[in-house]
Amino acid sequence: MTTLRIFFVGGLISFRALFGWLSPWIYIPTMFVAPVFQVLLFAYLGRSAGVGSDAFYLVGNAVQYCAVPCVFAMANTVAGERQTQTLGIVLATPAPRLALFVGRSLPVIVNGWLVSMVCLIVGSLILGVAIPVAAWEPLVLTMAIGAASCTGLGLVAAAIGLRVRETAVLSNIVFGLLLVFSGANVATSAMPDWMTAVSTWLPLSHTITAARDIVAGADFGNVSGLVLREAGVGLLYAAVGLAALRLLETSSRRTASLERM
Amino acid sequence: MTRTLRMLAVTWWLQLKLLTVSAFTGVLEIVYPLFFATTAFLVYRQNGDPAALVYAGLGSAVMGTWSAIATTASSALQFARWQGILELLVAAPTPFALVLVPITTAMATTGLYSLVATLVWGRVLFGIEVPVADPLLFAAGLLMTVLAIAMFGFLLSVAVARYRTAWAIGNMLEYPGWLLCGFLVPLALFPTWVQWVSWALPPTWGMDAMRAASAGESPWFDLAVCVALATVYASVAALLSGVVLRSARRHATLSLT
Amino acid sequence: MPVIEANDLGRSYLTTTGILRRRRTTVEAVRGVSFHVGQGELFGLLGPNGAGKTTTIKMLMTLLLPTSGHARVLGHDVVEEPREVRRRVGYVFGGDRGLYDRLSARDNLRYFSELYGVSPHEQRRRIDELLDLVGLRGRDGERVEGYSRGMRQRLHIARGLVHDPAVLFLDEPTIGIDPVGARELRGLIGDLKAAGKTVLLTTHYMFEADELCDQIAVIRSGAIVAHGTPSELKAAVSTGHVLEVEAHGVAPDVVTAVRSLPGVRSVSIEEQGRSQLLLVQVDHGVEVAPGVLALLAGTSVGRVITRQPTLEDAYVELVGQTESAESGA
Repeated sequence: MTTLRIFFVGGLISFRALFGWLSPWIYIPTMFVAPVFQVLLFAYLGRSAGVGSDAFYLVGNAVQYCAVPCVFAMANTVAGERQTQTLGIVLATPAPRLALFVGRSLPVIVNGWLVSMVCLIVGSLILGVAIPVAAWEPLVLTMAIGAASCTGLGLVAAAIGLRVRETAVLSNIVFGLLLVFSGANVATSAMPDWMTAVSTWLPLSHTITAARDIVAGADFGNVSGLVLREAGVGLLYAAVGLAALRLLETSSRRTASLERM
Repeated sequence: MTRTLRMLAVTWWLQLKLLTVSAFTGVLEIVYPLFFATTAFLVYRQNGDPAALVYAGLGSAVMGTWSAIATTASSALQFARWQGILELLVAAPTPFALVLVPITTAMATTGLYSLVATLVWGRVLFGIEVPVADPLLFAAGLLMTVLAIAMFGFLLSVAVARYRTAWAIGNMLEYPGWLLCGFLVPLALFPTWVQWVSWALPPTWGMDAMRAASAGESPWFDLAVCVALATVYASVAALLSGVVLRSARRHATLSLT
Repeated sequence: MPVIEANDLGRSYLTTTGILRRRRTTVEAVRGVSFHVGQGELFGLLGPNGAGKTTTIKMLMTLLLPTSGHARVLGHDVVEEPREVRRRVGYVFGGDRGLYDRLSARDNLRYFSELYGVSPHEQRRRIDELLDLVGLRGRDGERVEGYSRGMRQRLHIARGLVHDPAVLFLDEPTIGIDPVGARELRGLIGDLKAAGKTVLLTTHYMFEADELCDQIAVIRSGAIVAHGTPSELKAAVSTGHVLEVEAHGVAPDVVTAVRSLPGVRSVSIEEQGRSQLLLVQVDHGVEVAPGVLALLAGTSVGRVITRQPTLEDAYVELVGQTESAESGA
């Protein structure tokens, strides 16, 4: 029971504690306004190049942008705790690590999913992209898996954040890598082979393909393979991240580098 | 007059020195726009038209200058506030406007690092060769674009001196700027009302001037409008800085506490 | 004509609390502060944290607009003629902030020299002089981020002096500095006064005010509660004497009982490691030692001394709180 409480309540409180400083003035522009502009940027880019449809760029960027809440937020959770110097305190508690960190992930996943959904809806209205009614249900599920998967990557970033000083730089680079390699703006078929290979192992790539198919009329059954693959990728990153966190935590205890800024 | 010019030059140089040693800014301003430039190149490359790649190559090189301002101009004064320096800048007898202009100009100047990086990246990885038919006019266009962006940053930073949360808006301007100043996408694609917004932004004209000079066409009209617009922005910012500063002194927002 | 004139200076803030139901309260940080500082004087504004010292100095520095009253520096009104004031005044505050960490000391001084309009051929000479004055000459090429706190403070003072101002405002300049460094800084401040500058100093260290200042104004909760030379302030409380009792484990109700003894003006306790020092300020001619010792029966008592009051005693009484003071230097 306590594990569940640590999972839900602990996660939510830590989310609020670290984002308490985020006034609506920062939160809303970053999470809801900026992604729409990213969609517009690439949709018009596509129009100018005569490559890809509006729907293509809309879906791609709406999904890719969840990296901001999912990777940034997750990495910041740890970096922030390091800054407020509560990390050592938190890790000193006997709380089971899995419940602790997975609990912290839950609000992040929800946030990420919300960001993608809102971006999709607003973007479709502005660009005049028609999304079939039947598509929404599978989309919701697919995007949720995507957000969860990306948060797994966020856990890895969080682990690296325990050692690296500039976590914001790291998160920006991850965002950029996802932008280029996830197929958000370039169809995997148009990429050179090596890039496609990288793409397969990154979170969000499969979600983007699946979401595009759904918007084009496919039902969930058609894309379930992709969604499963995405879930697999996400779990892999989450496992690596959690293991790394554990490892770095123990090694930090040895080298007292936990609180070093 | 010469004293003022010297002051502007020396303080600009010292601020540039300050910015150049920060590795953090380096990554954000150089590497981050490169991701977007790469994506743009990948998209345009599929189109098969080399002119489109040159278009993107030149435009994306200037993206970094815009980012240098959009992401840091509003933060810089916040940073100065945290450092306890904002009060000292205000406490100096130099008009606050003249204190701020070198700061934002130095920021915009760091965009030149991104310019070089992006041009090299485009050349090496994508074989994009940006022609420079008239180097002098091209340089003039570049200089004016940097200054125009600096004046925009000046206006932005003035707003921050009064409103502590105005920096959130600054952070939001990166994408819209890229979109609206015609760096990656020809303005003709936008609805007319959007084009009007673009034309009100000085970097749009600077960018056009650079493209014209690169292609060997006449950039004079674009340069003139760019200068005129930048002057308007600077004047508004200067006027505002007096009002804003008085307000900050009244509401005690110069320091953290 | 006084160099610094404050007339009924006041500053209040409107604060809002709560998110849904916003309550507005007015906080008066400074109320009705008036004083004059003459040419070449070292004037101290002494008070505990939150008394309004920094607010007062910022108003005089033109960084804050007063909500009531006026002030003039060298004849220029701080509200109407801020630039004139800024040209002639230097501002130094304590702590780690106020310098560009990633620039060298020399570059920091160059930057501010430009902002203060120091002519180019003056700059080099002045900067060298200042670096000598504050003892940073050999290390001026290094980045400030590598400096110790004491060095930063010294550089900060140098920065305040780049334009050779006639008036200097120092806001808690020795705060957080080690005793040796602080003593050097105080020596420096004394030198500045000797060079003819007019200095206004804020501090919460009474010994510092005592040592340096020609005149002191004690400020508490935004208002001045006493004003005079250090000797005058001491005289105000020296019509009596101070009984110092060293004891172990003094109970709070004993303190209250001591306070109600006839002839006792105030009582304070100073924590000194395991024991406490009971300071009883007594009216002239009243003998309270037997009474106090009787109340302390049962607690272990060490040294008992009767002495003349110091400025610190005056301060404690003026500020009027029973507080655990830090042991003074």
